[in-house]
Amino acid sequence: MSCAAAEPRWLHCGSAFCKNKSDSEELQKIVENEPQKNDRSLVTHDDLFERTSKDSKTKASFNKVVEVFSKKDIRRRGHVEFIYAALKKMPEFGVERDIAVYNKLLDVFPKDVFVPQNFIQKMFNHYPRQQECGVQLLEQMENYGIMPNVETKVLLVQIFGKKSHPMRKYQRIMYWFPKFRNANPFPVPRELPKDPVDLAHFSLTRIANDLDATVTVYQHPLTDITETGEEISQPHIVGIQSPEQRALLAKHNPNRPVFVEGPFPLWLRKTCVHYYLLRAEPVPPEEKLEEELDPELVGPEQSLFYPQLLSLDLNRDLGDDDSFDIDEVEEGPVYAMCMTGGGDQATLAHWICRLQETNPILGRVPTFFRLEAGSGELQTAAGVQYNPGQNPQAGPEMEHITEQEAARSQGMKQ
Amino acid sequence: MNLSRITVWSRAATLGKGVRLAAGVRRTGEEELATHLQPRRLIVSSARSLAYAKDLFLGKLNKNEVFPYPEISHEELEEINQFVPPVEKFFREDVNSKKIDEEAVIPQATLTGLKALGLFGIQVPEEYGGLGLSNTMYARLGEILSLDAAIAVTLSAHQAIGLKGILMAGTEQQKAKYLPRLASGEHMAAFCLTEPGSGSDAASIQTRATLTEDGKHFVLNGSKIWISNGGWADIMTVFARTEVLDADGQKKDKITAFIVERAFGGVSSGKPEDKLGIRGSNTCEVTFEDTKVPVENVIGEVGGGFKIAMNILNSGRFSMGSACAGMIKKLIEMAAEYAGTRKQFNKKLTEFGMVQEKFAIMAQNAFVMESMAYLTAGMMDRPGLPDCSVEAAMVKVTVPYSIGCVFVQVFSSEGAWVCVSEALQVLGGVGYTKNYPFERFLRDCRILQIFEGTNEILRMYIALTGMQYAGKILTGKIKEMKRGSVGVVLEMLGKKVHGSLRRNQDLGLTGQDGLVHPSLTVLAPSAKMLEENAVLFGSTVESLLYRYGKTIVEEQLVLKRVADTLINIYAMTAVLSRSSRSISIGLRNHDHEVLLANNFCKEAYFKNNYWLVQLQKGSPENNDANIKKIAQAVLEKRAYICSHPLDRTY
Repeated sequence: MSCAAAEPRWLHCGSAFCKNKSDSEELQKIVENEPQKNDRSLVTHDDLFERTSKDSKTKASFNKVVEVFSKKDIRRRGHVEFIYAALKKMPEFGVERDIAVYNKLLDVFPKDVFVPQNFIQKMFNHYPRQQECGVQLLEQMENYGIMPNVETKVLLVQIFGKKSHPMRKYQRIMYWFPKFRNANPFPVPRELPKDPVDLAHFSLTRIANDLDATVTVYQHPLTDITETGEEISQPHIVGIQSPEQRALLAKHNPNRPVFVEGPFPLWLRKTCVHYYLLRAEPVPPEEKLEEELDPELVGPEQSLFYPQLLSLDLNRDLGDDDSFDIDEVEEGPVYAMCMTGGGDQATLAHWICRLQETNPILGRVPTFFRLEAGSGELQTAAGVQYNPGQNPQAGPEMEHITEQEAARSQGMKQ
Repeated sequence: MNLSRITVWSRAATLGKGVRLAAGVRRTGEEELATHLQPRRLIVSSARSLAYAKDLFLGKLNKNEVFPYPEISHEELEEINQFVPPVEKFFREDVNSKKIDEEAVIPQATLTGLKALGLFGIQVPEEYGGLGLSNTMYARLGEILSLDAAIAVTLSAHQAIGLKGILMAGTEQQKAKYLPRLASGEHMAAFCLTEPGSGSDAASIQTRATLTEDGKHFVLNGSKIWISNGGWADIMTVFARTEVLDADGQKKDKITAFIVERAFGGVSSGKPEDKLGIRGSNTCEVTFEDTKVPVENVIGEVGGGFKIAMNILNSGRFSMGSACAGMIKKLIEMAAEYAGTRKQFNKKLTEFGMVQEKFAIMAQNAFVMESMAYLTAGMMDRPGLPDCSVEAAMVKVTVPYSIGCVFVQVFSSEGAWVCVSEALQVLGGVGYTKNYPFERFLRDCRILQIFEGTNEILRMYIALTGMQYAGKILTGKIKEMKRGSVGVVLEMLGKKVHGSLRRNQDLGLTGQDGLVHPSLTVLAPSAKMLEENAVLFGSTVESLLYRYGKTIVEEQLVLKRVADTLINIYAMTAVLSRSSRSISIGLRNHDHEVLLANNFCKEAYFKNNYWLVQLQKGSPENNDANIKKIAQAVLEKRAYICSHPLDRTY
């Protein structure tokens, strides 16, 4: 900072900028063309990005454009417009989460010019457009969840001084960001696993949130070509079940059906995956079996080691009753969950079939498939054995992973 | 009605000679027994008071129970004094504890020696070939046996729990058949209760015994784990589920105790467990596969195994106190030897205050344990009704004093751990090596806090048993208070004001007719502290019952403090009673006893006050809420969840 102040004020060179090497020939050309364009239209900066990156929109090409702009004019004329345009173009180039690029963009601002020199300047809004632009840049970083670094700070001090609006913005970001960074107890990684089986594994453990639950890959994805030349593809089936669920299922009344339901969506940042449930209706109250405890084994003065209950006619005093009054809505038990590459009944029947290995009761329980977006009627299948081949009636075509709605969730912050 | 029931539980009788007298009486059926004994109990209860520990829950010091300190007769004393030296000599000369620990087996020669001394049948009546010693004398022997923990565990698994079922509830035929050979050590006994899925939770026992068609045998199937002597035992007390028709004629699973001989077939034992301590003892899995047990081998009645298990476990505990005391006495000698010779900075270790403190702690702990153990054993040996049936004796012996036994176990297991650790610390690095036996003692005594019910479970037992007792008596009063009955509230308030005005509670321990030795400056302050604690404890229990009612079962942290306070009060009583007697009859070094007693009482008094004050607070103030929150957060992730101190967010 001090060295910047010592330099002549018209040499608006930032440190990052000075280090850059010379560019390719193509760029030189653009540099030459640019001034004329600049004179003609207000939207030239957008154009500049378009033209430079006809074939590839990458970080390198984005950087090139920024360098070109910085080099072409020592006075950096129109740099505010350029920065606005660049900010808008960042997502297109896929650099919206790159702190280095933001710093480079910040470096476009001429140094020292906007630093207030006396108290009157400090009092009033010194170079408001430029300051606003700086704030805008920081705001975009904020929106993408990018934390400024020391270089950003140095640049901001060089450009706007220590008590400017962008600097304040920087300080606020630095105050709040670390506090919120780990606020989510269930963080989703920025990069989701590419392999659908791994993704299913991740999603299922995320939904279940049970350390005892085991994830089983019932079927690996497979694409094979048979002798007759037909292409056979086998969707993946990944399921999760906890020992507790297994115990619950074992106690299920075999006369009551279980349901395979789905698909239900699960959003992981911009990705949507779907899962299926194996569940049952809530047990009607008349069928509920009270687990009877032998009073001899748990009663007062009877228990082998200590009594599990006292036979006293005294209840907890109101002053020590910290429980809340909660209306509990009973739901049916969920026995297992799965994710699959194909949401048709045949695939899900295969899942149930494999589940039967660890839950023999499923062989005796009628299983209904209630798959959404189908004909709306229940599709029944005999409880005992499923043969995926015999069930050609395919369920709804399910796009397993949709990369849609990117725009909607773009604004999602960290 | 309740009162009569309590009296059933509270009756005291003896395990030793009293039982032997009663052994000839025919067993009676349960109902017959109840009708037979009920009216008499009521009368007796007014004469003989309830057990000491339970009365503490009501803020009463039942001083006649514990004062004066129990004594044994001259004959018994002589008998034990004749008996102790050969056992001591045997342990000094013929037992190589280091080798037993290293090779994880007790040599045959050692076992033969133990058998020859009769140590396999210490409490078996003489008519069955045992020594027929009382609880007190058993405790005395325990002091010596504890010099080798592996042998102590083997012997106590054999007779404190293994054959106790037969001794307590067996029929005449069963006793005649099994006890002689068990007492001579020809057969070894084991106690098979724990199962893979059923540790402290006896309700989940899976081993099953089914009656054969002809009704002559039970077929036993299942496996038991962590059975001490499991690999060596020839006779086992096994607990299994059996189907029993209950009063409504419905089939129900009940637990039944069986005597199972290895010779019945189908009994197999697994590999001995490789343990941290007590390595010489044999612990393994025992599996029963279609083992045919004759119906004559049922202990007690079919379906009545639960009470038997409970009573066996509860009765076997008191000896732990004397055993630990014996061990600490030995440790003190060894550590003092070292501290007296080792010089640092040109000073002997014994001159350093912090080393001195360790010896004081050890001596004090040994003193307290001893006092508690012999007080409890003495109370158990006190003669009961001579004409009561064996079954009644069985129930009565253990239940009132089982709390006392549990106090002893909890206090001494934890005290022993501290003392062994301190003794090792005196030696520093040398103590950590295998050149000295301290590390072995350390490993061995760790088991004390675990077996025969972990200390956590025993604390729950202490607290809940007392709460149940106090609750029954106080329910009416508390209900009145909750209803806002002016009379009761005023009475309570009056009591409180009275208590706060007169800080010193008078429960009759001191003063003119006091039971503690009247010398003003000696024990009186400690006795006052005990009285004060006891009264405060009673009112705290009352307020806890008011606050939590029967849901106190869920408040484990509260119950822990209740149990700890009670253990301390019991220990204070024991040391006061003992040292009062010592002054009165002028035992050697009784001034030292008084010193120890006063020191302990002061410490315990402060601790008790702290716990009692915490008990009167709500969970946010006494940190319980925080403790729960911390544990929940950690257990939810099953990991330590803090970020690393070197982590950064920017």
